[in-house]
Amino acid sequence: MSSLLQREREIIVKNEYIDRFDFDEVEDFIKGASKDLFISHKFKTSSEMLVQPRGGFPTYDKVFQLYKEFKDANVDVLPLTIDSNTRLNDYASAKKMLALSEENDVDMLNGYPLVNHGYRTTRKMITHYNTPVSLRHGTPDARLLVETALASGIFEIEGGPITYLLPYSKNFPMDKAFLYWKYVERVCAKYSELNEPINRESFGPLSATLQAPAIVIVIQILEMLLSLEEGVKSFSVSFSQTGAMLQDIVSSNVIKKLSRKYADQFGHNDATINLVYHQWMGAFPYNKEYSDSLINTSTVIAAMVGADKIITKTRNEAFGIPTKEANALAVANVKYTLGMLKGVPQVSDEEEEENLTNEVDEILEAVFNDKADTLWRKVFNSIKKGYIDIPFSPHIINANEVITIRDPESNIRILKKGNLPISDKSFAFEQSKIKLAEGERVVDKIIKDIGIML
Amino acid sequence: MKVVTGVVGNDIHVVANRLIDISLEERGFEVFNLGVNTYLEEFMDAVIETDADVLLISSLNGEAEGWCRDLQILKSQYDFKDVTFMIGGNLGVGEMDPELLVPKFQGYGFDLVFHQTDLNEGLDQLEIFLKTRTKGNTDV
Repeated sequence: MSSLLQREREIIVKNEYIDRFDFDEVEDFIKGASKDLFISHKFKTSSEMLVQPRGGFPTYDKVFQLYKEFKDANVDVLPLTIDSNTRLNDYASAKKMLALSEENDVDMLNGYPLVNHGYRTTRKMITHYNTPVSLRHGTPDARLLVETALASGIFEIEGGPITYLLPYSKNFPMDKAFLYWKYVERVCAKYSELNEPINRESFGPLSATLQAPAIVIVIQILEMLLSLEEGVKSFSVSFSQTGAMLQDIVSSNVIKKLSRKYADQFGHNDATINLVYHQWMGAFPYNKEYSDSLINTSTVIAAMVGADKIITKTRNEAFGIPTKEANALAVANVKYTLGMLKGVPQVSDEEEEENLTNEVDEILEAVFNDKADTLWRKVFNSIKKGYIDIPFSPHIINANEVITIRDPESNIRILKKGNLPISDKSFAFEQSKIKLAEGERVVDKIIKDIGIML
Repeated sequence: MKVVTGVVGNDIHVVANRLIDISLEERGFEVFNLGVNTYLEEFMDAVIETDADVLLISSLNGEAEGWCRDLQILKSQYDFKDVTFMIGGNLGVGEMDPELLVPKFQGYGFDLVFHQTDLNEGLDQLEIFLKTRTKGNTDV
């Protein structure tokens, strides 16, 4: 089996845009790599919430400078955000735009074209800062990208076959995405045996527009199981700020409890599971002072939900990609706020937690009962049937039957359940919370609810 | 009434597309939503396949003009005289004068053109247009 995988890997890395790939050398590098490069090690040894921004520029020099700003702001985890051409495996365009960016000192890419830079160059930067780096992309076929990342010393890989497909693509074939990500999981698992484990992280924000927590948690658990079944030992589930403080806390309690339960049930008792919280992923206000307030509030919520890592936003969010200074300032502010938030009280709401737990269990039961022979096929069929349905996904396979709106406390509720296999009791609970004003059109309510932070 | 809708060209802004879909259903239309990233030829095929009464194209990234200028040519190849052609959204890059944009898109073959118009306002106008149009037909 491993030799078949190795054969596939050799084909993947034979690409006109990269230098010769030396698997033996890469294996030696990972075997001897500093523990400080592994976020899995940092999770184990740190008692504090790790702070990680987003960020990536086309050129090596600009990323190097960005990392310096972040380090000065006392960052815990560095990001490497990849450009959109690389995400679509269009290395030719990435190469051209990189050359233009280098010649003219203008950013012609919205991230770092890692495949074109190559692992030999990128590794110099990663080992120089000796800090964990997280790969942020959005790539359905991330095989070559992840090979290059791991060889560079990037030991956290974000994404998955569902979360990097349904919110990002209209018609990339979903069965292929599952198989390409299976490759990624296997390579991560293989390298995890050499040193500290490679951490995989799922992308819970999805389309960041009125996502029902039950659907988010179901997808987080399924991507976790698909990863663990290939041998990954360290996995982060995640979700983003919902816009309702109570719902964030309920979501966190349920996702922690159920991700552990299902990992154990599938025999992965030895796997470590971490929780990542994304600061507000929806539309930001144009008023930068309001943005600061939003960011501070979400930092408080992250402390209340007991996240292991927080991913930050900046006050420039509404205006485009932030400068390195603005980005580093956001990190420093979040670190400052977290300093005030030691020993926050534990909050829970039993009724809400019970209902959310039931919904997740009910959907997962329907997925596991699908007649297919493997987990990925069960998940694939479930998405086709609309058992899993992401509001505001552009993908043709997504059912688009589920409609969600906010209740008077801003919690996101399921108004129309489409084919979601939740029980009448669970659905009745959702319905009981919804209050539409007399004569209010649902679509107007949705527009208002999407723009809750504007 | 049947409506084919979708976002034209290499535009992946899905939120408004979903809202249009929901709004049309709320108003009692039968909706065939082709989603984001749809080309003019695909819209034509869908109108024929579904025997639609309305084609509602939306665009947000400002690139609609480049994708829609061949509409007249495509329309001339088929008998579309009972179909209402509508486009709405953000129809130009940067700040554009609606006084110039609307006739331009009408020239491309759209019966109804809405630039940066509120969704409900646009759909109200569509319903009024369809009513007068049907009335016109019965008078004949």
